[in-house]
This record gives sequence, C-alpha cells and structure tokens, in this order.
Amino acid sequence: MSTTPQNTTNETSTPETSTPETSTSGTSTPENSILEVSTPGTSTPETRKPPTAPVFSVEGLWKVFGPKAHRVPADPELAALAPAELRTRTGCTAAVRDVSFDVRKGEVFVVMGLSGSGKSTLVRCLTRLIEPTAGTIAIDGEDVRAMDKTRLRELRRHRAAMVFQHFGLLPHRTVLDNVAYGLEIQGVGKAERRERAAEVVAKVGLEGMEHRRPGQLSGGQRQRVGLARALAVDPEVLLFDEPFSALDPLIRRDMQEEVVRLHREEGRTMVFITHDLSEALKLGDRIALMRDGRVVQLGTPEEIVGSPADDYVREFVRDVPREQVMTVRTAMRTASADEAGSGPALAPDATVSEAIEAVARTGAPARVMDGARCLGVVDHERLLGVVAGTEQGAVAGAGKSKEVA
Amino acid sequence: MATVTTAAPRIAVPGVLKRPGIRKLLLLALVAAILVPLADARWASGTWPAALTVDFTEPLTKASVWIIDNRDSHPLFLYFFGHISNAVVLCVRAVYLVLLAAGWAGVTAAASLVAWRVAGFRLAAGTGIAFLACGFLGMWIPTMQTLALMVVAVLASVAVGALLGLAAGLSDRMDKILRPVLDTMQVLPAYAYLLPVVLVFGMGVPAAVLATVVYAAPPMARLTALGLRGADKEVLEAVESLGTTARQRLLTARIPLARKELLLGLNQTIMMALSMAVIASVIGAGGLGDRVYQALGSVDVGAALAAGIPIVLLAVVLDRVTGAAGEALGDEPRPGGRARWLYALVAAVAVAVAGRLAGRLDWPDAWALNIAQPVNRAVDWMTDHLYSGVPVIGGTADWAAHFTTWVLDPVRDTLQWLPRWSVLLIVAALAWLIGTWRTALTAVLAMAAIGVLGVWTPSLDTLSQVLAAVAVTLVLGFATGIAAARSDRVERLLRPVLDVFQTMPQFVYLIPVVALFGVGRAPAVAAAVVYALPAVVRITTQGLRQVDPAALESARSLGATPAQQLRQVQLPLARPALLLAVNQGVVLVLAVVIIGGLVGGGALGYEVVAGLAQGDLATGLVAGAAIVCLGLMLDRVTQPTERRAKKGA
Repeated sequence: MSTTPQNTTNETSTPETSTPETSTSGTSTPENSILEVSTPGTSTPETRKPPTAPVFSVEGLWKVFGPKAHRVPADPELAALAPAELRTRTGCTAAVRDVSFDVRKGEVFVVMGLSGSGKSTLVRCLTRLIEPTAGTIAIDGEDVRAMDKTRLRELRRHRAAMVFQHFGLLPHRTVLDNVAYGLEIQGVGKAERRERAAEVVAKVGLEGMEHRRPGQLSGGQRQRVGLARALAVDPEVLLFDEPFSALDPLIRRDMQEEVVRLHREEGRTMVFITHDLSEALKLGDRIALMRDGRVVQLGTPEEIVGSPADDYVREFVRDVPREQVMTVRTAMRTASADEAGSGPALAPDATVSEAIEAVARTGAPARVMDGARCLGVVDHERLLGVVAGTEQGAVAGAGKSKEVA
Repeated sequence: MATVTTAAPRIAVPGVLKRPGIRKLLLLALVAAILVPLADARWASGTWPAALTVDFTEPLTKASVWIIDNRDSHPLFLYFFGHISNAVVLCVRAVYLVLLAAGWAGVTAAASLVAWRVAGFRLAAGTGIAFLACGFLGMWIPTMQTLALMVVAVLASVAVGALLGLAAGLSDRMDKILRPVLDTMQVLPAYAYLLPVVLVFGMGVPAAVLATVVYAAPPMARLTALGLRGADKEVLEAVESLGTTARQRLLTARIPLARKELLLGLNQTIMMALSMAVIASVIGAGGLGDRVYQALGSVDVGAALAAGIPIVLLAVVLDRVTGAAGEALGDEPRPGGRARWLYALVAAVAVAVAGRLAGRLDWPDAWALNIAQPVNRAVDWMTDHLYSGVPVIGGTADWAAHFTTWVLDPVRDTLQWLPRWSVLLIVAALAWLIGTWRTALTAVLAMAAIGVLGVWTPSLDTLSQVLAAVAVTLVLGFATGIAAARSDRVERLLRPVLDVFQTMPQFVYLIPVVALFGVGRAPAVAAAVVYALPAVVRITTQGLRQVDPAALESARSLGATPAQQLRQVQLPLARPALLLAVNQGVVLVLAVVIIGGLVGGGALGYEVVAGLAQGDLATGLVAGAAIVCLGLMLDRVTQPTERRAKKGA
C-alpha cells in the first residue's frame, strides 16, 4: 500500500493532549521533530512523483471549545496544560492542539485516532464546517481562514467534498436527486445534473437504484450514495469522516476496496479519517496518528508500525501483522559479496511476507534489487526478526521517526 | 409566604433528614408556622380576606365600555382592529360562498377526492359518507358555516404558527422566549381565550376566528420549531459541506426534513381549530356549535345530537385524512401522482357543475332525516325508566345525585372551609414535592392571584369538580391502562375507541352526559372524565409497554409473580409516564369542567358564559383570568421535575 516515498520529510508531529476524558502521558511540551527517514543502503529520496505543492497545508492549527477560546492557543502557559487541567482552569476543551501537516496532491492522507482524539474536528476545520481557533489552513496556497462567505462556499462547492459517517443523506430525495444535490445547489440545470449524477451513480455501482429513497437502501449502499454525492461535484479533494465505521465488517471491506479502486482510477487526493488501524494501514499513503488533539506520529504505514514514536503508538500497533506492512527495504542488511550475486530477487517495497515466501521456497537469502543494483539481502534471521518485532533496534537505529514520547 | 418558601432550600438542614421530600415539607411547615399566625392575626377569616382582594370589576367595566364606545371612532380600531375584523369577515364569507356555490354534491366530491389522493379509497369512501350524513341530518348549512370558519382559521393558524415556529426553530433566543409562552398556552382551557377577544372585537365571526387562531396556532408553532430543531445534525452538516447558502439549507433540507412534524402540526391545529370553532359558538361563531349550544340551553338532546354527530364526523374525517397524509410521507411516490391529482380536480369540478346544472345546490329538504324527535323520545324514555328506580343499581340520576352529595359537596365544602393559607400551603407542598421550587412558586402565586381577583369561592368550586373528576379519571385510566398494557387483546379492542374519543371536540361530550344525567355538576364531571380518560389510558399503556424489556425479563427470571412485576418493575420504571398521565388528565379535565358551566356545572365556567350572555364582560374577564390561574396552578402542581442535575432544590 505504501507507495509513497518514505524518506521525504514528514510533518511535524506535535505532542499531546486535549479532550476532557483522557489523561496525558507525561510530557506536555510541544516539540516538533522532523522525521528523517533513511535506511541503510538507500539514502536517496526515491520519489516517483515530483514533489508538488501540497493541496492542504495546515500549520499550527487549534480548535478550542469553550468560553474565550482564543486565549488558550495565544497563551503558551495555557497551551501547555493537560486537558483536565485546562478544563478546570478555563472551562475550555481543546479538541485540536497545534497540528501541522501537508496533504500532497494525489495521496491518501489518513488521520487516525481513537474517539475523542480530535480527528473529526480536525477534518471539519479544513473546510471550516467548524471554525478553527488559531493556526493557518491553506488549500493550494490560498488561505482558507481568510476566505469570505462566498469564497468559502466556492471552496465547499467545487474543491473539497465530504463523506460522512452516518451518510447525511436527504431522506426525502431519491438516490439520483441526492447525488445531484451538490450540483443542484451550484445552479446546474436539471437535465445536466441528472445526467452527471447518473454517471457517478454507475461509477459507484448503484445502477438500477436511482429512484429509490435512502430509507430503502442498506448501509453500504447508502454510503455509496454519500460517496457518489461527493464525487458528483468533481472535487479536488475528498474528505472522509469515518465513512465506514457504521458498516458491517464485510461491507466495510468492500467499501475500502471501492475507495482503493477509485483512487487508483482517478488519483484524487483524499483525506481519510478513521479509528480503525487496519483501515488506516490499508488505505493510507501516510498516516497521522492523533491522540488528545495532537498528532503523535506522522509517517507511512511502515514507519508507524516499524518504528512507533512512543509507547502509545507502540501499544496501538502491537497486534498489527508486521510482515504485511513492513517492506524488505527496512528488513534487509548489507549483502556480502557472494550473496549479492545469487538468490531470489525482490523489489525494495515488497512486503516481508512476500520475502518470507521467496526465502522459504529457495532456502537462500533473498536479494533486494533496485533495478540491477543489489541494495541488500534478507535472510531467515532478518525476516523472523521483523515478524517477532525484535529487530526494532536496527530499524529505529536507522533513524525513522525520532519521536517525543 | 411564597417568596420565603423559595428562599428556603438554601438553609442548612441537619444531616439526619436525608430525604429531600421530607426536608422540603419540614421547611414549608417551618415557614408556615411563622407566617400563618401573623397572617391570621392580621386578617382573621376563613375564606380569602376582603382586604387582600382587588376589585377589577370597575376598571374592566370601564375599559369595556370605553372600547364599545370607541369601536367605531378610535384610530386603533379604525385602522388596525377594524381592518383585521373586516378581512376576517370577508374571508369567511368568501369561503362560505364558494362552498355554497359548489353545492353539496361538489363539496362532497371534492372532499372525497382529496381524501382519495391523500389517504386512499377507504378514507375517501368514509369522507363521502360523512359529508352525506351531515346532509341527511339536515345540518348541511351549519356544517358549511363551520367549515368556512375553520378553513379561514386553520389557514391563519398555520401561517402564524409556522412563522413563529420558524423563528423559534432558527433562533435560539426566540426559542427561549416563545417556548414557555407556547407551553403555557397549551395547558389553558379554551374558554380563557374567548373573553379578551370579545372585549376587542365584540361578539361575532371575527372574534370567533381570532379566538380559534390563538388557540390553534401554538401546536403548529411548537411542532414547527421542534421539527426544525430536531433535524439530523449530520444531514445538515453534509448539506453545509456542499456549499449551500442559508436559504438553500432552509428550503432544501431543514423544511423537508421537518415535514413529518409540520404535518403533525397541521393535524393538531385542525383538530384544535375544530374544537375551538365549536366552542366559539358562545361568542357568535354560528354553525354546528351554535346549534349544539342552543339545544343544550333548552336541554333538547335530540337537536344537540343532530348537530353533534356532524361535528364528530368532521373531526374523525379531518383527523384521519391529515394523519394518513403524514404516514404516507416516507413512501415512494406513485408514478403519475400529478396526473391523478388533475383527474381528481376535474372530477370534482365536473360534479359541482353537474349539481349546479341540475339545480341541486342546496341539500334537498325531502332528504333530511329528522332524528331530533326520535332521540328525544328515547331520552324521555330514559328519563322515565333509567333516571331512577331501576332495581338494585339505582338510576343514572340517582348516581349523579349521590355523586354530588357524597363526593362533590364534601370536597367543595372542605376546600371552602379550609383557611386560605392552608390551601396555599397544600398547593406549595404538592408542587414542590413533585417539581422544583420554581413550579411551586408559580403555583402558589397563581393560586394567590385567584384570591386577589376576588373569585376564591367559585374557583374552589371548580377546583373541587376538577379534583373529583381527576380522581375518577386516574382510577379508571390507570386500571384500564394496566389492563391494556398486559393484554394485547384488550389493547386491540381499546385502540379504535380511544382513537375516536381523542379526536372529538370537548363540546360534544356534553351531549350524552346531559342525556344520561340531566344538568348539574355531576354531568360536567362525567363529561370531563370521559374526555380525559382516553389520553390517560393511552399514556399509561405506552409508559408501561415501553418499560425496558430486559428489566422485566430479569424480574421474571428471578421468579417474580405478575403482581410483583407490575408493582416492583413496571410501575416504578413507568413513573415518568404516569406523572405525565396525571398532568395531562388534570389539564384536560379542567378544560371540560369549565365548559361544564354550560350544563349547570356552575362556578367559573358559568361566570364566563353569564358574563358573555349579559354583556357583563368584566365579570367574565375576571373569571377568565381565574381560569388561567387555575390552569397554571394545576399544571405546575403536577409538573414532574426534569431529571437533571439542578443546583439548589
């Protein structure tokens, strides 16, 4: 899944806290660390796409609920308080605390965290469905917070469309009219919007249901309508707010595959909110892991699983089948001269489980080949180390994400 | 006294007294022990002391005389009320003429076809039969008069209610202002609205329409606000995320999402308007209500019934058709719906034109059935045979007499014998135990206001009737409710009965009780019981049935007997519903007990009617104000605390 370069600089991840119920873990000092990724053998930025201007660029974003919310981000002392303390001192709740990240063009950017971590508030701040308290948000370089009503409406109408957890469909309209709704409020004529809506309805696999009402559809079908409604306006970015968490597991998997397929076909930029780690790992090019309103780690799925930034993240990813996320690039060691000449060849971003299969079949260490060049080898020992999670030191030593705990 | 009571909860209480109820009562007792001797020493007398009453009669009479003198000359009337009054008369007249022009065939056809489109064939047939029945009973013209008045009143109520509801639904501040007002208007008896309107507009159609609007608009406003506020937050967010303007949001999402509530509001408004349009015959509304009113005045049960049946039929038809419209909402629209509306329209017009060409606009006299005489004969027979002297069980008149002497008189005498401070104290104690100190304060102030108005004695008479009726209603209602909750069969049998009874206007209940019990206070109480019973039964049944099945199941698994289940699980868990049933019962009973003034119930209701009849508006207005106070007091006393963490009490 992780097709994006791992080495480009990842965003600041900012420590800690917000939300009333959770307690902080020790530190509360905001400390931004740049995540430098380099693996032994490969230090070249292996970019497949040329670096483009970010679609969304978020810098120091705060959302505080409560009386006189503005003083909290402004006052460094208040900003550093733990959520419970902030609540007793000011009566405010900080849902999003000093969050910064860029969403690159064409990527699937996943924000994940448990309920109450501020992720849903965060995504709503992007189009100002919730008005942020402090910080900057830019879409294609344009300041979102400075937009007036008309401009903001333009943004919502044409540039960013959202898919909601409970679908948010209008029960009194047919599927077709729900999908065409975004076009209708833009003032598109009836015939044209119905035609365009019908295309999108077909694209999400709902042909033949155009004239049903949402009440007559299953959950999965309803979410397809929600997805189609967002796609119908042909937005630059799709925002997903836990879109599949209300669905049954099997249907959820279908829908995830649907999103993967859409992304493959259209290459649309997506911001995806979820509380489901496996969903995040499956869909995300990059994942921002949130806790108590802060981003505790931001990186590729492999970085999150391979080198958790702190105990919280480590606990989070403990049960992940590592061999399916980690690539051989992380697992390999330098090849000795004779090893470099023989053995099965693997691409650097092949997963460890693929390498295990190759190694088990041939009985010899597998070579990690970048074109004709041998980057390194993986043998039984290294692969088992990945599965067992004992090679942590080696990978972490390679410098993944140095995170503040 | 009341103010001190409210300050009381802040006083520290010894730790022994853990139960808040006991604490509240002790505090009240303490306050009373200090204040009562003082008050008694100052104004010693059994009933409300004259020194503490204010005579409003004179200023009110002056005001009313001034209004009557200036109605044709003062600019306020010329340029404001005058226009309203003229517009109302014009509208009602216009609708009436249209109805007459359509002829009985046209109206019946139009009504049935609308019912067909909205609610299907069965209701269409029912509607047609109902309208024809109105004709057969010789009541076509009064029915059309009532209908014309209703149409105007309902349109105005819906417009006013929807606007208020829109304001309350969109603005939090408006909601805060309007909600308590609407809530209070909801509990006041219809009679309370009559006199102020008459004071301004005089007797007649404008006053009747406006009273109806004032009475019928609140449910529309409440439900509109409720629907707008209750809309699914995520849908609104989704709609906003697509870049809608506020107007688009309102028109394409908020109002359509609230359409169930809007239709329910329309239904309730129509039912309330019908109820009031009938009652407003007292202030010159004419139509069916007037026929009932006249007939009751001369104890002519047959004539009253002939006019009462159309009222019931109208009520049932209107309720079912609008209700069915609400239920049909979620369904898929049938193809060709518009075309069918067109057919319906064309058919209705065709029938109307045909009726016109045939020269059959008015209901043919030959077709009218005169049921008044046979009914009166039956009533006479009943008077002779059932009123008294039936072996063993006695007769209805005997029952009424016994009820009056054994229940109503003692209760009234006790209430009137009680020193006024103890009445206030009882009110305070009840309200405080069930609700908060706020409700207690309102209740006590309302009760004290009755004393100040100088109508203490008749008010207590009304109160005694209310208490007796509520007691009977609750005993019967809870028993029936429990039975219906425990047995599906009983519920199935009861449901259609309750449905019909709940849709009938209050006025209609007076007819059968007069037939059975004659006139007096007992019939008024009986009518009140019959009117309030369906609501109490329904709320009780629902409350008991909605008790958490898991709790009931666990009780059963522990081997609880049915009686234990009822006593230990169902009743305690259904407590909020039972309290609501009490509250509703009290409010509904009061409404009818007041109307009972028309059939010899006396007390406040009679004073209003007498005031109207003799043109003595001042007396009527004072009685009306007392009714408002009594309604407020009774509602507050039975208003359960919302289960929220509250500071103070």
